[in-house]
Amino acid sequence: MSSGSVLSIEGLTKRYGATTALSSVSLEASGGEVHAILGENGAGKSTLVKILSGAVLRNSGTIRLAGAGYDARSVLEARAAGVATAFQELSLLPNLTIGQNLLLPRVSSGAFLPAGRRRILAEATAILGRFDAGDIDPRRTVGELTLAEKQRVEIVRALAHGTRVLILDEPTAALPDTDWLFRQVRRATEAGIAVLYISHRLGEVRELCQRATVLRNGRSIGTVPLVDVNDDQIFQMMVGRSPQSQFPARPQVPADALPVLEGRQIAGGRLRGIDFVLRKGEILGFAGLEGQGQSELFRALAGLNPRVGGTILVGGKEVELSSPRKAMATPPGIAFVPEERKVEGIFGGLRTAENISLPVLERISAAGFVTSRRDAEAIAESAEAVALARRYFGFRMDELSGGNQQKAVLARALMTGAQCLVMFDPTRGVDVGTKQAIYALIRRFADSGGAIAIYSSELSELVHLCDRCAVVYRGRIHAEFAREALSEENLLSAAHGHGAETRERRAG
Amino acid sequence: MTARPEPEVATLPPVDDRERPRIASSTITTVIIFVLTAALIVGSRAISPAFGSWSQLETILYLSTFLVIVSFGQGLVILVRGLDLSIASVITLGGVLTTGWLNGSNEYAWALLPAVLLICAFVGALSGVGVTFLKIPPFIMTLATGIIVYSLSLGFTAGTPRGYAPPVLVDFMHARWLGVPAPILFLLVFVVAAVLVQSWSVLGRRLYAVGNNPAAAYVAGLRTRGLTISAYAVSAACAGLTGMMLAGYSDGATLRMGDDYLLPSVAAVVIGGSSILGGHGSFIGTVGGAILLTTLGTILAALGIEEGWKTIIEGGVILTALILLREQFYEALRVQFGKGRTE
Amino acid sequence: MTPIRSLFSSGAVLIAIVYLVLFAIYAIAQPSALSAFSIQALLNNSLPLMLAAAGQTFVVLQGGFDLSVAGVISLANVVVAVYPMEGPGGALVNLLMVCAIGLAVGATNGLLVAYLRIQSIAATLGTMIVCQGIALLILKAPGGHVADWMSYELTDSLFRVFPVTALIAIVVCLLWLVFRRMNVGIALYAVGRDETSAALSGIDVRRVRFTGFCIAGVLYGAAAYMLAAQTATGNPTAGEPFLLLTFAAVALGGTSFSGGSGGVIGSVIGAATLMLMQKVLFSTGISSFYTGVFQGIVMVLAVLFAAAVLHLSQRGRASA
Repeated sequence: MSSGSVLSIEGLTKRYGATTALSSVSLEASGGEVHAILGENGAGKSTLVKILSGAVLRNSGTIRLAGAGYDARSVLEARAAGVATAFQELSLLPNLTIGQNLLLPRVSSGAFLPAGRRRILAEATAILGRFDAGDIDPRRTVGELTLAEKQRVEIVRALAHGTRVLILDEPTAALPDTDWLFRQVRRATEAGIAVLYISHRLGEVRELCQRATVLRNGRSIGTVPLVDVNDDQIFQMMVGRSPQSQFPARPQVPADALPVLEGRQIAGGRLRGIDFVLRKGEILGFAGLEGQGQSELFRALAGLNPRVGGTILVGGKEVELSSPRKAMATPPGIAFVPEERKVEGIFGGLRTAENISLPVLERISAAGFVTSRRDAEAIAESAEAVALARRYFGFRMDELSGGNQQKAVLARALMTGAQCLVMFDPTRGVDVGTKQAIYALIRRFADSGGAIAIYSSELSELVHLCDRCAVVYRGRIHAEFAREALSEENLLSAAHGHGAETRERRAG
Repeated sequence: MTARPEPEVATLPPVDDRERPRIASSTITTVIIFVLTAALIVGSRAISPAFGSWSQLETILYLSTFLVIVSFGQGLVILVRGLDLSIASVITLGGVLTTGWLNGSNEYAWALLPAVLLICAFVGALSGVGVTFLKIPPFIMTLATGIIVYSLSLGFTAGTPRGYAPPVLVDFMHARWLGVPAPILFLLVFVVAAVLVQSWSVLGRRLYAVGNNPAAAYVAGLRTRGLTISAYAVSAACAGLTGMMLAGYSDGATLRMGDDYLLPSVAAVVIGGSSILGGHGSFIGTVGGAILLTTLGTILAALGIEEGWKTIIEGGVILTALILLREQFYEALRVQFGKGRTE
Repeated sequence: MTPIRSLFSSGAVLIAIVYLVLFAIYAIAQPSALSAFSIQALLNNSLPLMLAAAGQTFVVLQGGFDLSVAGVISLANVVVAVYPMEGPGGALVNLLMVCAIGLAVGATNGLLVAYLRIQSIAATLGTMIVCQGIALLILKAPGGHVADWMSYELTDSLFRVFPVTALIAIVVCLLWLVFRRMNVGIALYAVGRDETSAALSGIDVRRVRFTGFCIAGVLYGAAAYMLAAQTATGNPTAGEPFLLLTFAAVALGGTSFSGGSGGVIGSVIGAATLMLMQKVLFSTGISSFYTGVFQGIVMVLAVLFAAAVLHLSQRGRASA
């Protein structure tokens, strides 16, 4: 049900120093429309969301809301204009109650009045009831909730304030099913609210949305009615080239190759008993929805989860991986490429060469001293293996782009001499060119006898890279697919806990 | 499929298509400091003809030796994201043990003096253990260690430190070699060694890694705890060494002899361009900061300024340095003047 | 979480239990401790630290550290001793003076930390040093004279039974209970726990941080005021011992240094416990030289205690 253009964005630009996050983005959404925003990581979706939400200021461009200019400079101003967002990285406070979170920042009616418990309960219950979430008790502390419950509260908060524009950023990431959410979205559209829907799940997008705007590298590529395009065309708009060309063919791995890394009944936290075998020369993929235990598993293999239950065998011998140092030192050596390079991967203030040469400092030192020349010599081979240009060696790590940073992290993993790489989402936040380089590296590494365990949230990657792929669901390996049976549909359906033969209703 | 959270765009690094890396902000700072110090010394001529002279420079370098040594240790601790508030007490400990055990004689000095250093290092290691294993915030841990050590010194001397420094120490502090006071030569050797260790050695590299990103250092397989503890141990050893040298300089020890060095050591490190958050900075900058502060101190003392003003200026200098030396300031400078301008 | 569990995960309750146990031991060893005079003396001694710890809580809750407590107390203490104003009206003027000083320093800290984004340890180290210097300028050595009305009346008891200091402590606690439920109080907890989420929830993070520092400053001023009333003299280094003790009190009270949990009541009781510990130590006849050793050890144990409390309270929650 359309009632004229409610939100219109033209020429929106946002720069952070020398980086352009958004470049002349244009978009138009009508009242009562569910408008999808599609794009790869780094395309600019979250910047767009932040600007609309009032969290970030734009550099230039105009935004019009219901005909009037829109220039929210704070979340409160955005709300006052009727714009509210359910953020992908949930914006709830774990140490406050649901009721307090819903009413923030004005929990109490007066600036100098203490908020009454009963009033909070009444108001919060009313809000939750309005959106079919009456089963949630507003007195509970957010920290106690499951991820799914938190996501619902985040969405309810946005629903409550979004009287003109409702922005939902990956709202189904943690929800068990889409029924509740879709119902609320339909009610919002019936009330004439424009809904911006950001999601990677094309199946959901097709079910809910009428049009989609595709972003790529900070630019709006185009707005298309979803009925008129198929998934491949959307993908082309998002990526700029056909996906098939990225993955060359791969030889088979002999089934009797030596097991390099083995897990037996690995348990603890979200893990309920994982069994797997990774052989020499093999690329073993892991797939799964967020929070199924894959992170705990990989961290255990990296030595970051020492108290994990079950048995881990490295090179055929049972080992307790008490620290990453131990993991590296146990032959044939395990090197970890972490999920968030900013947090656990890079040394931003050190030079790139220093970052990469860290594992071999003693070897390249003369009488305990190292120079930048020795650094450069030592890392030359690894840098070439990841296609990292020499001229970056002297740059500070935080001066590099995300893709080059990731290459440096990989190069360092190679420098350790480990024969087994454990990589968690290595192509996250990385441009397409770097992804190619990483895929090539993974291939070459396996071809020369190394073993790789890789988790990725991009199913197409797993399908084309791996020899085998295990699907993690509720802390266990729910299914395992050999290369012939690998497909995005199979992986997705297994990730939802369905049997391997059942086809999921939604296409990946 | 799972949502992959987009990287925080505000922290997306600048596009790396320039030809050469940027000049480090620490280099700019260091140059500024030395220029400032030189300007101060030369400018102080206006106060009195005795100033702005070589002999004044000599005095300043001599006096700054103590602060430089202590600041090296403090700098290492700050590098690994800590803060050492115990050095005043450890300086006192070094001085008190030296005069108390040796009491004016050189007997066993060859064993006792290193023993004093080891004891001080041990104190530092204790602080380090508290910070790494017990996860106690560094400034609280070192504050506690400092109070404990001071209290022990108090008890050890029963309130009144007696005794004299061993002659070998006294002679060294007053000797002149090659036309300059021996301590100044020691200062030179110390600075060279310290810079080599901090910026060019394997240990130094690892300390920078730990300070820059402790989580990444752990993932990369470094012994983060051991490295951190060693930083605290070195800091305390430096403080102990300073205490020994001060004892030689005044041929005696007092209970508050370390007080004048604690806050200036932090100031020297911060002014010298090292980030108070850790992971950045070089010792040369700290040396400049220490010399600048000493210069400022001597000029203020000569002007007969009260202690209160001296303290205020110290605090003011720290605050100014903190405000001005933030990375944003340098970003702004670069965008205005730098060749590496991309858009 | 069972009721027992939730009780034990409250830092304030735990430290209150510790305090009562300690006091019971002390009273058994020295029955004179139960006299009204003795209790009044204990409270008079404890109030300055209690107020300082209360103030520090407002900064630790937002995940920061305020070293300027030592500087403000020194400065305010010296001002009251150098410019004494007689009579109850004068006492009020003195109070306004110290609160103004505390507010000024707190506002400066707030500006540096909230708006200029300087790390709190560094910024407050700077302001502490500057305050200390100003204190030395005003009064070079212990001396001065505190107004008689202050040193007599404020250390006395109402109706001979209720110490004034106890009243002040209770009022502060009551004010906190109100503050904690005000928008700014809830916002303070939010900012301390997760600044980004707080901002996305509509909270003005900078203003909340700034307010926290200002309130802290005012409380430090009040602490100095009561210290002056207690010691009846001015001392330019009066604030020095408060540095360690304030953080120990906050830690003992169960407020976590990572921010977002804890509260003033715990800190106040923690301060009282520390002072009681000192008294107990003193009465055991340990050489006064070595009290520092015990202070330092207590400090370390206090922090571990706070961490344990936090751990307990989080274990009782389902992981998400």
